[in-house]
Amino acid sequence: MTEISGVPDATSHRPAGRVRAAVSRVRSAFGSATSRVRSVTTSLEIDTRLLGMLLALAVIWILFHWRSNGNFITPRNLWNLSVQSASIAIMATGMVLVIVSRNIDLSVGSLLGFLGYTMAMVQAEWIPQTLGLGFDQPYTWIVALAVGIGLGALIGGLHGALVAYGGVPSFVVTLGGFLIWRGLIFWYAQGQTIAPLDSSFALLGGGPIGSLGDRWSWIVALIACAGIVYTLIANRRRKRRYGFQTRPRWAEILVGAVFCVAVLAAVWVANSYPWPPALASQYAADHGITEPPGGLRIATGIAFPVLILAGVALVMTVIATRRRFGRYVFAIGGNPEAAVLGGINVRRTIMLTFVLMGVLVAISAAITSARLNGAVTNLGVQNELDVIAAAVIGGTSFAGGIGTIAGAVLGAVVMQSLRSGMLLLLVDSPTQDIVVGIVLVAAVGLDALLRRRAS
Amino acid sequence: MRIRRAAALLGAVAVIVGACSSPGASGSGGATGCKVGVSWNNYQEERWAKWDEPAIKAALAAAGAEYISNDAKSSAETQASNVENLITQGAKVVIILAQDGEAIKPAAASAIANGVPVIAYDRLIEDPKALYITFDNVLVGKLQAEAVLKVVSEGNFVIIKGNKADANADFLRAGYVQAGVPEVGQNSDKIKIVGESYTDNWDPGKAQTSMEQFLTANNNDVDAVLSENDGMAGGVVAALKAQGLAGKVPVSGQDGDAAALNRVALGEQTVDVWKDSRELGKAAGQAAAQLCSNKDIKAVSGVGQFKSPGGNDMTSILLTPQAITKDNLNVVLDAGWIDKAKLCQNVAAGSVAACN
Repeated sequence: MTEISGVPDATSHRPAGRVRAAVSRVRSAFGSATSRVRSVTTSLEIDTRLLGMLLALAVIWILFHWRSNGNFITPRNLWNLSVQSASIAIMATGMVLVIVSRNIDLSVGSLLGFLGYTMAMVQAEWIPQTLGLGFDQPYTWIVALAVGIGLGALIGGLHGALVAYGGVPSFVVTLGGFLIWRGLIFWYAQGQTIAPLDSSFALLGGGPIGSLGDRWSWIVALIACAGIVYTLIANRRRKRRYGFQTRPRWAEILVGAVFCVAVLAAVWVANSYPWPPALASQYAADHGITEPPGGLRIATGIAFPVLILAGVALVMTVIATRRRFGRYVFAIGGNPEAAVLGGINVRRTIMLTFVLMGVLVAISAAITSARLNGAVTNLGVQNELDVIAAAVIGGTSFAGGIGTIAGAVLGAVVMQSLRSGMLLLLVDSPTQDIVVGIVLVAAVGLDALLRRRAS
Repeated sequence: MRIRRAAALLGAVAVIVGACSSPGASGSGGATGCKVGVSWNNYQEERWAKWDEPAIKAALAAAGAEYISNDAKSSAETQASNVENLITQGAKVVIILAQDGEAIKPAAASAIANGVPVIAYDRLIEDPKALYITFDNVLVGKLQAEAVLKVVSEGNFVIIKGNKADANADFLRAGYVQAGVPEVGQNSDKIKIVGESYTDNWDPGKAQTSMEQFLTANNNDVDAVLSENDGMAGGVVAALKAQGLAGKVPVSGQDGDAAALNRVALGEQTVDVWKDSRELGKAAGQAAAQLCSNKDIKAVSGVGQFKSPGGNDMTSILLTPQAITKDNLNVVLDAGWIDKAKLCQNVAAGSVAACN
């Protein structure tokens, strides 16, 4: 059995759905006090592990808020946190599929450096200087991004082909990649820092200017809400049509309301963070606006990297739970022999997970280099460890077949919360590493313990 | 099976080695034929291949000595065996750019015991029998702090330090104290340290995150930033820019990176302490050539005594760094360190003398 979060009918195209309905009927027949709580979660069809992670995150946030004299749960810090988590979270969504299919990708940090450096070369050296077209052309950022994503897919495909068709273990292939891609950076420009980047490209990194502003943030929130409601209704109809059990109506409405409120609250927080006064007065001066007393207040809204993360997480969730490719990945991870015998093209599927990983690394590379407004040789060093840790804290199992996209994103946010929070408390980097290491092992250990109990 | 794998490996190695041409070296002079081995800790960083290596090579060639090298790729373990490899290859003098000044000690001591003099290049190896050649890093820190204090002499200071395992991070910090910045964990009447952090791998991205959090914790009430190098200064300036503070808060750096010198011209970075790596490479190459004929490190010209943090009296050659600010950017231009187009990119006409 595969495990998928928050998507009620993920297994509905299989006969297993009926078995599950029977199981839940048996379970509800127990009717004891403890199972009443369980029956509520069952009828809501909530992933209890994700709920547990959200609770853990809440505890971390509250502790930091208390210890930092009210500096953690503020619009500004949460906005920072969202931007700081974005790059790792985006890569972690791809790492979930790689690990679920019983592989690993150790090259993501080096690849991020290589792709970030390549994109920087395209926009700061090759287009403006080698081709002599000049800086800050309107098409520069698109070309750079396209080159990065294309190259990422190609390199991911190379890794994947070696793993799937060449029969070399993914650990070895990507360990090689880890060395090679970092080494190739040096060949570009003897390790020089490439800066500054194209001014449009730099917006991908966020910052008050690289954000949506309040109006567009609200529009995005409303579209997201409409999407949630539509998905819930469509799912319910489809289940009914095939005769599967559905949530009670109250549960359906509650789930929709909770998700909608969460989205609106997140946008409200992002909009509560005003532009820094210095930037706002500069903007006022540039646009000939007379500043009102107390300064001009411009809402920042959702930062571009966070918007990209939301889009990636959505697409990846659909791929993982609704597309044949994604279901194949989980089937391969759950039982490779059965997957082959079941007629799944295992090799092609494995290769495609690495292509996807390469594309996501390219997106993260764009965000990281844009955020720094430059490419340096140690861009993305050790990111592979953060990405794998995020996926694992998020409930992805190294045994294969188990993992969720939402969990991986949450895992990334948990890790960055720890680091950013400790920085606020002036805890130095060695201690940060120790704490993150302990949390990593404890989270996975606790998860294994609970799973053993449950079975 | 095993034989087949070995054959495949041999084939692969043959192809790769064939693809890389190996330059032969020959020369004439005082140290004719003497092989000098250089163990780089991480050849991928900007400066080594571009500036240090050619300068060492030139100094050795002038003396008729031969240059061999290898790269430890940031691994202290690899570097220990690399040093042995250089000696096996016939090196009579070894120059070590240490990844980890502590971990390399046994390898250095064994080289010295076998009659191969060791030059600790740029980074300290705590062995009094090794010759330490570096820029005065405490002085680098002092120059950084002095340049920043000249702009803002009191208020809230943030200190972004380098990698904890690198002794230079602490030398630089000691230099700050010499210039009047309080010690770690202390404040003075004028200066309050509101944020201080080491940075893993001197990573600019991590420095940026640190700076963002320090600005958040202090509600932007930060008056000056002491960043120990240029890469991290880039992260700091990016964080300041996001708050509209770039150019308003003084920031320090070192290394003379092209991007950083451009920031100095733009006014976003206050000072870039420049250590002309070519001088360092030249000094090391000349010292190595002298050691080829006389193994006594005290007999090398220009040496002095240096009290190390570990309490050792090191025989050392300390070169003087130079603080580059907006007012003397012509120094790096005249030295051919950077070209004008790079230095003056996006600089408003007439705002900087060196760009006119």
